[in-house]
Amino acid sequence: MAMAFKMATTGMWVTDECKSSFMEMKWKKVHRYIVFKIDEGSRLVTVDKVGGPGESYDDLAASLPKDDCRYAVFDFDFVTVDNCRKSKLFFIAWSPSASRIRAKILYATSKAGLRRVLDGISYELQATDPTEMGMDVIKDRAK
Amino acid sequence: MYGGDEVSAIVLDLGSHTCKAGYAGEDAPKAVFPSVVGSIDQMEVETETENNSGPAVDPKSNSKSLDSDKAKGKRKLYVGSQALGYRRDHMEVLSPIKDGVIVDWEAVEGIWDHAFRECLLVDPKEHPMLLAEPSSNTQQQRERTAELMFEKYKVPALFLAKNAVLTSFASGRATSLVVDSGGGSTTVAPVHDGYVLQKAVASSPIGGEFLTDCLTKSLESKGMTIKPRYSFKRKETRPGEFQVVDVDLPNTTESYKLYSQRVVASDIKECVCRAPDTPYDESAYSNIPTTSYELPDGQTIEIGADRFKIPDILFNPSLAQTIPGVENFAEIAPLRGLPQMVIESINKCDVDIRRELFSSILLAGGTASMQQLKERLEKDLLEESPQAARVKVLASGNSTERRFSVWIGGSILASLGSFQQMWFSKAEYEEHGASYVQRKCP
Repeated sequence: MAMAFKMATTGMWVTDECKSSFMEMKWKKVHRYIVFKIDEGSRLVTVDKVGGPGESYDDLAASLPKDDCRYAVFDFDFVTVDNCRKSKLFFIAWSPSASRIRAKILYATSKAGLRRVLDGISYELQATDPTEMGMDVIKDRAK
Repeated sequence: MYGGDEVSAIVLDLGSHTCKAGYAGEDAPKAVFPSVVGSIDQMEVETETENNSGPAVDPKSNSKSLDSDKAKGKRKLYVGSQALGYRRDHMEVLSPIKDGVIVDWEAVEGIWDHAFRECLLVDPKEHPMLLAEPSSNTQQQRERTAELMFEKYKVPALFLAKNAVLTSFASGRATSLVVDSGGGSTTVAPVHDGYVLQKAVASSPIGGEFLTDCLTKSLESKGMTIKPRYSFKRKETRPGEFQVVDVDLPNTTESYKLYSQRVVASDIKECVCRAPDTPYDESAYSNIPTTSYELPDGQTIEIGADRFKIPDILFNPSLAQTIPGVENFAEIAPLRGLPQMVIESINKCDVDIRRELFSSILLAGGTASMQQLKERLEKDLLEESPQAARVKVLASGNSTERRFSVWIGGSILASLGSFQQMWFSKAEYEEHGASYVQRKCP
């Protein structure tokens, strides 16, 4: 069974930059979010954009294109009901309905490859329009 | 490993009603034709030609027979909309697929031949082949397919992909619940990370064809009969005025008559039917305005409540029992409507993914492009799903994309550079045999 998704992992190479930015985000908390993109020609998953610790979730939402797919990782800081500060990492697969089918399939089939490298993600979201990855959805999941 | 980058692959989706075929990388199938075949017993054809010089030796039909039909064993097969559109004495119309399972392999070969040789004009030896298969295809069927493809067609490489997975990918999701309502059946299949969760697949025999038959019966009970196109001739007596003359063709088979009637009835269905916003209710719909439709023989019929009643059968199968001529359809009783199938399927999945499935329900297939179907399904599900679930039904706005989502998914997948190493190659087939298909194409 593991063969089917070898297409994802061996088909696309995740660059070291992706791994190192993610590690910095996880351990040093220097990024609020990272946006990844696939370059189909060179078959590489690369870092599209990183957001500084001061940026918010809205900045991430604004940096996702309306007509192309992306992957994003977001560091969500929140306070639980019993006043405990927590931080959770969210993985978002962004494929808006306006993007090309080719891009949608490319990102959907290659997701597993990137996810395998990113260790420590708590929640995963799939979104085709902004309402599916609104702040309310994030809060709802982190509860 | 097969390096398939140089030659484009062929993508084939043989559904219960239509067969879609085309080149990988394109955004719509090149050839779309009925997946039924016309068949005449060879013995009878010969006596026929001797006895009369009627339609059987018509030069037009002969030239067509040469390129579109294959004489095999004792029977002659006719494939493609054109060959089927021409009425022949004693021609039976057969469907090679029963309940999603291929029962007549010879007919399937006929269909494949037609797709490769007449529609796409390719030599299957030169192209890798991606076939879409039903979500609950049996092991035996898959091995048989692989064997045929490698042994008979000598394809260089093959891949079998599940319908539901292709639809899911085509909408950019690796996890989703795919509601595929096609011609012969409706299937609800959960897909998680690119795999179909076999145990939770739900299916029912209610598809577009069943609705078409219900519509025909319902119209008949109201005194409106649909005349198949071949059964009459239409002459223009004066400009703008037509005279319809019935033609008596006693040798036409019952199955051909049904096939030709369905062609007309399904067009009526596609033109006028619309899913009602709330469950259908005989009294509330008795006074709704009618819509007119002109039949091929020039007769205009008025369709009222049936416009809403027929689509509602998808949501409430027992409604079919109120239609004269369908009431003794034995299988109806235990059937569930679409919303119940969705909920049942989701409840069979792991608790952790149910939430995600509820929020990505994808509609696919010809019957799913019925007007208002998406809105109605979303509404019904909102009422019946658990409170916390965010129900979201997604369907492509473009009707071509919705109808051919499986094919489009296969087309793009087969053209991705990252997919090329996934092919089940001829060398691997020769080394490991047909059963290797289970490992290569899960």
